[in-house]
Amino acid sequence: MTLVAKALAAGAIGLALGVAASGWILADPPFGAVTIGPWRVAAKAGSLEADPYTRAALARSGEIPLALGEGLKLVARVDSAGRPLDRRCLYLVGTHTPAARYWTLSLTDADGYPVENAAGRYGFRSSEILRDGDGGFSIYVSALAHSGNWLPVGHVQTFALALRLYDTPLAASAGGIEKSSVPTINREGCA
Amino acid sequence: MSVTARLGGAALFVAAVAAAAALVHFALVLLVPVVAAHDAFAHLAELGPPGATTPLPPAGPDERRFPWDDPALAAAFCRFDLSAGPVRIKAPVGRAGFASLSFHTRRGAVFYALTDRAATHGRMEAVIATPAQLRVLVAHDDEDDPSQDLRVVSPTVQGFVIMRAFSELPSLYAAAADEVKAMACATEPSPS
Repeated sequence: MTLVAKALAAGAIGLALGVAASGWILADPPFGAVTIGPWRVAAKAGSLEADPYTRAALARSGEIPLALGEGLKLVARVDSAGRPLDRRCLYLVGTHTPAARYWTLSLTDADGYPVENAAGRYGFRSSEILRDGDGGFSIYVSALAHSGNWLPVGHVQTFALALRLYDTPLAASAGGIEKSSVPTINREGCA
Repeated sequence: MSVTARLGGAALFVAAVAAAAALVHFALVLLVPVVAAHDAFAHLAELGPPGATTPLPPAGPDERRFPWDDPALAAAFCRFDLSAGPVRIKAPVGRAGFASLSFHTRRGAVFYALTDRAATHGRMEAVIATPAQLRVLVAHDDEDDPSQDLRVVSPTVQGFVIMRAFSELPSLYAAAADEVKAMACATEPSPS
């Protein structure tokens, strides 16, 4: 092979690798997010100070980010033991959230969109949820119907849980949210 | 060709591939925000004209333009263009539940936000201006009767404002949707 052919081959392989790696990395930008238990939060994702990776991911997804002053979005793709969320399993999410004026817990597909289900239930609001005697809550996440606060998984293979805290004093220090204050996602059993 | 020379050639080839991949990757990361055809602003442009309040479709399984939108929130937007002058946003609030305004650049980044806690006289209100327009506004201020306006400087001439309203119950979603539709956004008359 001549030198020119070798250089062209290197360039072509590099181009393919670069494109593939970029698509993979921008699906879940590596910087600016912190992990709190099963939850990931990128508090500054929507701000002017966001890093180039987070900015590119935002532009590609089309998301309209929440401002820090409005609230925080926490996303879980794994349970509290670190295992990927699985549609064959029953999860118990609870029982407390960090301080906020309101919160919502909703289920989405891997891309962040609600999932069709027969109950028409996409999430729960702090203002509508049934609570236990201590003011705590339990949300059951499963494909099969469950009593109490049931959040249906619907017909997706992979799903995520989104916890939003509106008007929360924690916004300025998302990295400082204590693990004990966020809801746990406990796998109760699998079919 | 000796073994060493072959190994050297292979290493050089791998290094060239890695360098090309890295170059492509960094170029893509920097270019995506500039060329993205389906970013938030592009989707909003399909939904409504600049200078008008347009409701955002409620989050649901069939609405696949704005990921991570909360189904409990109603939202409306107004795209602004400051080339004809500063733009005033007025959003009446008064329901039980949370409401907010966020101000975004053309690329979607938030440059300012306020919530209903900052509302005065039952509304959230702000004037968006370029740095040059802000200087003109300040120059026209009456020293004895200073303006009460909240002035927000936009880093870009174009952008958009989102109003969000939280519904405490599913049955209250319609009231939240009505509240965000009442947001007004209009270009200010130029100061005389």
